[in-house]
Amino acid sequence: MGGQIYRIDRDRARFKEVVRGRIREDLQRYLASSELIGKRGDRVVSVPVPSVELPRFRFGSNDGGVGQGPGEVGDAADGRDGEADGGAGGAGEQEGTHILEAEVELEELASMLGEELGLPNILPRGRDELDASGGQWSGIRGQGPQSLRHFRRTFRRALVRTIAAGELDLERPVVTPIREDHLYRALKPKPRPESSAVIMHMMDVSGSMGREQKDIVRIEAFWIDTWLRSQYRNLEVVYIVHDAAAKVVDKDTFFHLRESGGTKISSAYELCLDLIKERYHPDDFNIYPFHYSDGDNWSARDTDRCVSLVRDELLPRVNQFCYGQVKSAYGSGQFKKDLDTAFPEETALVTAGVDDRSGIPRAIKAFLGQGR
Amino acid sequence: MREAQRAEAAATDAGLSFFEVVFEMLDAADVNAVAAYGGFPTRYPSWRFGMEYERLAKGHEWGLSKIYELVVNHDPTIAYLVRSNSLMEQKLVMAHVFGHADFFRHNAWFAPTERHMLDRFEEHARRIQEHVERHGQDRVERFLDVALSLEPLMDPHGPQRRYRAAQSRAARGGAPAGSSQVERSRASLRLVMGGAEAAPGPVAPELPTFDLLTFIAEHSELEDWERDVLGIVAAEAEYFLPQRLTKIINEGWASFWHSRLLTGGLLDPSELVEFADCHSSATQAAPGQLNPYKLGIELFRHAEHLGLDLFRLRAVHNDVSFVDEVMDEEFIQRSALFVSEQHRSGEGARIGTRDHVAVKQELLRSLAWAGQPRIELVDVAGGGSRELTLRHHHDGRDLKLDEAAQVLKTIEGLWRAPVQLITAEGDDERRLSAAGGVVQVRADEGPPSALPSKAS
Repeated sequence: MGGQIYRIDRDRARFKEVVRGRIREDLQRYLASSELIGKRGDRVVSVPVPSVELPRFRFGSNDGGVGQGPGEVGDAADGRDGEADGGAGGAGEQEGTHILEAEVELEELASMLGEELGLPNILPRGRDELDASGGQWSGIRGQGPQSLRHFRRTFRRALVRTIAAGELDLERPVVTPIREDHLYRALKPKPRPESSAVIMHMMDVSGSMGREQKDIVRIEAFWIDTWLRSQYRNLEVVYIVHDAAAKVVDKDTFFHLRESGGTKISSAYELCLDLIKERYHPDDFNIYPFHYSDGDNWSARDTDRCVSLVRDELLPRVNQFCYGQVKSAYGSGQFKKDLDTAFPEETALVTAGVDDRSGIPRAIKAFLGQGR
Repeated sequence: MREAQRAEAAATDAGLSFFEVVFEMLDAADVNAVAAYGGFPTRYPSWRFGMEYERLAKGHEWGLSKIYELVVNHDPTIAYLVRSNSLMEQKLVMAHVFGHADFFRHNAWFAPTERHMLDRFEEHARRIQEHVERHGQDRVERFLDVALSLEPLMDPHGPQRRYRAAQSRAARGGAPAGSSQVERSRASLRLVMGGAEAAPGPVAPELPTFDLLTFIAEHSELEDWERDVLGIVAAEAEYFLPQRLTKIINEGWASFWHSRLLTGGLLDPSELVEFADCHSSATQAAPGQLNPYKLGIELFRHAEHLGLDLFRLRAVHNDVSFVDEVMDEEFIQRSALFVSEQHRSGEGARIGTRDHVAVKQELLRSLAWAGQPRIELVDVAGGGSRELTLRHHHDGRDLKLDEAAQVLKTIEGLWRAPVQLITAEGDDERRLSAAGGVVQVRADEGPPSALPSKAS
């Protein structure tokens, strides 16, 4: 059977190439669709494979089929609502009912994105080169060479053991370390600031941001994360949502939350600033705030407050501040105009308008095209 | 392999008969690789086998796949056992395999199949490899993809019909019994040697035909190696065809016998619970699909209850005729079958009706024509235009038009002349025509319009 096994390795490798080639060809389409989102692990993205299936004459959506299981007429056929708990589905040809996914390295997807949009690699900020891995001798471990033995920690452990065993004679306090007490200095990897980054996605979730608007944000956020992840060894992502008040949420909430109410953009910027001050010091992190909204703000006064926050507090601390304005039926789109007027010359502030999904690649390029 | 002998003896006593069955042992890690190639050790190189491997490795399949069951229709019949399975599981798989082996040997739909396909597959792989060396991997791979995209365009009943015609000719003319074999060899030789005698151009006499792939292989202007690739794909598809026509009855027959043989003496009493667990997980219906193992075994048990001759059933039927003969109102009600109805809102299927006539009709419709849309080549235009006209026999189920458009473009590329397809959306006729790499769709006599999405 040996030959077979080698052959399958070759055919699998070829399959992966085909998948990669297809993604490369169709990247513009993927850039504007939510197909890949939620398929991302730490290192790989799963790509649904029907997109590489060969075209064939196939039945469309009005192909009913026969199912099996209890339930009344009108119940969900797969038994998901209440009474029906049996099985269901089409009989006969069952190809394609399990959606196969192929894995593509995140790194590779990012490089495709870079090629497609002509994105420059990010230039080093400050002192050292971007990818700096280093460390300090501040760690401790149980094994090591004698030359690295940590005397104080070793004796402390021996002392604790002696006391715990009730053998410590206060008259004659002799503590003898045995083999198990020995502790050694170890290299504790500490990522240098140049290779850490934080993305802060801020999204307006006020009533006027509809499902499509949020989807656009979601897609943009996905590609931005993918790209920056390829540029930095350590990437943290913070999600903030705001209407009249802002709060930090987890990823899932960020993409699914539906709020309504007024919009006070400054609330998000203030929260962003607080986080930077508390947790993401500019000396340790490259900071990328992204803000998405439909451009309506509560009042001109709040917009003034935003402008001064951006100018005086945020821009000095961040690599680049990005504002993406998604067109909605209700939004006036005023906020982008206000920002553009307030910062006519500022290169560290990028604004981009997105009318619909097809505008996503252009916005991504605007955001990431400066290599900051 | 003492257990194999015991299982074989039990199967033979029960009345099953088969070609010699050869069991091969596999390591668990190699199982998916072997299965991806359909159990054959040598196939041509293709990314699609790699894809099949990934599908098997990740997907959850029906029935016995968890403990692995793979039988190859061949003389001798080849079956694989996984080394890491328990003794009970090996017994179960072996009994199941003897059921399949009996089915392969006696079912009418398998009668036309090549029983020495091992050599043929090896030969195909060698030829494709030669084409790759001569014309480059990319070119050959692209053309293989084209061929595989047209693979289902064959008459699923064609091999059976030709086989019977040859047999009755042989009976009438007293020709030697092997003549059908000779004829088929000659036919494939013609395919392989190609161009010389099958000159393109004149309108073919065999119209209308469902054997579109073969028609194109014979009548279009192709290079010899391209014609050869089409021939190989057609021959391999024909070999696998009967398995697609007999999923329910074949799995049903094998499951019926593994259950009967094991509980009839092959099982050690201590294995009973493990067996029950294994068997029931193979034959359960989970949300999303109709399990052919479950449906098949229950149909055979129902047939037994009705007093039908099971051995006759397995000899003459495919899935369609088997369901048609055995499935009655009582069965449909007891099995809680229903017709599912797709909701336009996209919220998933709902139970449409439990009316037994409707259920049976819907099941037969979905099984008919090997589960594929019926696409017939009805006309080749004369006078230098050579335009092909295909007709989709619409049975209420629409085609995916964007994908159909892609296929038309593929056919046009092969045929080097325009191709049109007559189909329907609901009750409205649609004509798709591919010319110059562009596909247009129009309602019957209305003005043409470009297809949305990637079609044009």
